[in-house]
Amino acid sequence: MRKTEDRLFGGIMGIFALLTVLLLAFLVFFIVRESLPAIREVGLRELLLGSQWRPIIYQDAPSYGMRNMILSTVYVAALAVAFALVIGVGCALFLACFATERQRMWIMPYIDLLASIPSVVFGFIGLYFVVKFIEKCGRAAGESVLAGGIVLSVMILPYMISSCCDTMVKAYSRYGGSSAALGVSKWYTAGELVLPASRKGILISMALATGRAMGETMAVMMVLGNAIGLPRLLGKGETISGLIALEMGMAEVGSIHYSALYSAGCFLMVLLFAINIIFELLKKKLSREGSL
Amino acid sequence: MKAKILLVKIWAVTACALTLGIIFFLFAYVFWNGAEAITWEFLTSAPKGLVIGTEGGILPAIVGSAWYTAIACGFGAVLGIATAVYQVFYCRSSRISSAISLVMQCMAGVPSIVMGLFGYSLLVLALGWGKCILAGGITQGIMILPFIQVRAEKALREVDPLLIRASYSLGVSRAYTIRKLVLGQCLPQLVSGVILGGCHAMGAAAPLIFTGAVIMSKVPKSVMKPAMALPYHLYMLLIQGTSSVNAYGTAFVMMLVVLVANTAATWFAWRRKK
Repeated sequence: MRKTEDRLFGGIMGIFALLTVLLLAFLVFFIVRESLPAIREVGLRELLLGSQWRPIIYQDAPSYGMRNMILSTVYVAALAVAFALVIGVGCALFLACFATERQRMWIMPYIDLLASIPSVVFGFIGLYFVVKFIEKCGRAAGESVLAGGIVLSVMILPYMISSCCDTMVKAYSRYGGSSAALGVSKWYTAGELVLPASRKGILISMALATGRAMGETMAVMMVLGNAIGLPRLLGKGETISGLIALEMGMAEVGSIHYSALYSAGCFLMVLLFAINIIFELLKKKLSREGSL
Repeated sequence: MKAKILLVKIWAVTACALTLGIIFFLFAYVFWNGAEAITWEFLTSAPKGLVIGTEGGILPAIVGSAWYTAIACGFGAVLGIATAVYQVFYCRSSRISSAISLVMQCMAGVPSIVMGLFGYSLLVLALGWGKCILAGGITQGIMILPFIQVRAEKALREVDPLLIRASYSLGVSRAYTIRKLVLGQCLPQLVSGVILGGCHAMGAAAPLIFTGAVIMSKVPKSVMKPAMALPYHLYMLLIQGTSSVNAYGTAFVMMLVVLVANTAATWFAWRRKK
């Protein structure tokens, strides 16, 4: 009786776990299936490298080149990661070396608040604050890649900080005691020992943050201006996710336009899979080496 | 040498102050500007006006968001926690276990807009549900599933193995041990994970654009009907660019939910530690 109950419970848990794994398989299957017509019709090369995105026919044939959107996505994400790196690593260093365990217990949930703020609210404040600020500095239109990078950097900050902070706390616990015993100042330990020792951990948190940054939709879309030209720092741009969100409503189900939007999503998904798998492998390797 | 140390000092202190300041600013900005929009009428009436939302309130969006979030939490919690239990207590092969971890890592990396595409092609089109609360809620549920699973797995692994072994050696079955002993001990952390996941779902507009959210609807009565959602409503108000008072009010409500949910989640997470 007890055995059957045990088996039943285990079986149910197993089925749910299987279902979860299958969900990802389904996801990949559906996204790839819907994007195949465009890949077949337009060609992968043209889709990824073509410079013209003209899904609606006026005189000439429509064309589906996503190069500018891909560049925008990379540009905005790179800016965001660069900003977040400067602020996040500094903040994590302070929290790891100077805050007590108890203070961290209070501050970390406060920083995690950032991760819960809806992305639309980030876009909203970005629009009313960052974009307005850039306009005050003399630009006619504040919606730009720079604004997107600034807003996005705040959004990925909590991931950066908590991941870096974990690494640095471990590094500090390794060196802090002996440094203090030798009479070395805390700041020296932080700058000369903890920071170099956490280099790999920082690299990993950058990979994680890049993944987050590339997938973000709403906030970036709201402050980027959504123009499909070549992205420049103070010019408008449009990310892949923004493209999908803006044009899905116009695309007829089953058309090449519709399928091309799915292939844009597919490309983004494959890119993020690659980043995440690298992240997972690196993490495993480093934790085996004991440096994380 | 001295100068470099000084630079590190300035950098770390500034960065930390800036981060904490930004968070305070974000909440203060929304609460300060949104307070005047919050009236009883705003919270309990439907959007009105020539351009929808410029006048009236946001009641349908609040109720709609509550539905979406509840379905997302239910779906994400059941699958996420069950997967974690399987991984920690039943899965004997370390290969399968790390495969599940990799799947979760990948799933967490799927952008929310691609989740929306998936929900659209599977739930809305292939299953023929049409745009509805259930489709939107489940799409969000899939989005927060890895989030809940990772936290649940961490909580389950922190349970003292001696306790579990003691329970087994008393002849208690594995199922009973998990249900009464392990889940009982982990409950605060599990609840905390689900609340935070729900918070993510509440604020995500991208998965809902194609699967459930509409510009205008009545207070929803069935899960098979589309409904308004708070983040999507805010987005619509902003691109129409007409009503900033109501936009601030909508943002106010979402930020308040975020603040309350996070406080509750943190409190639950601390309870286990004490």
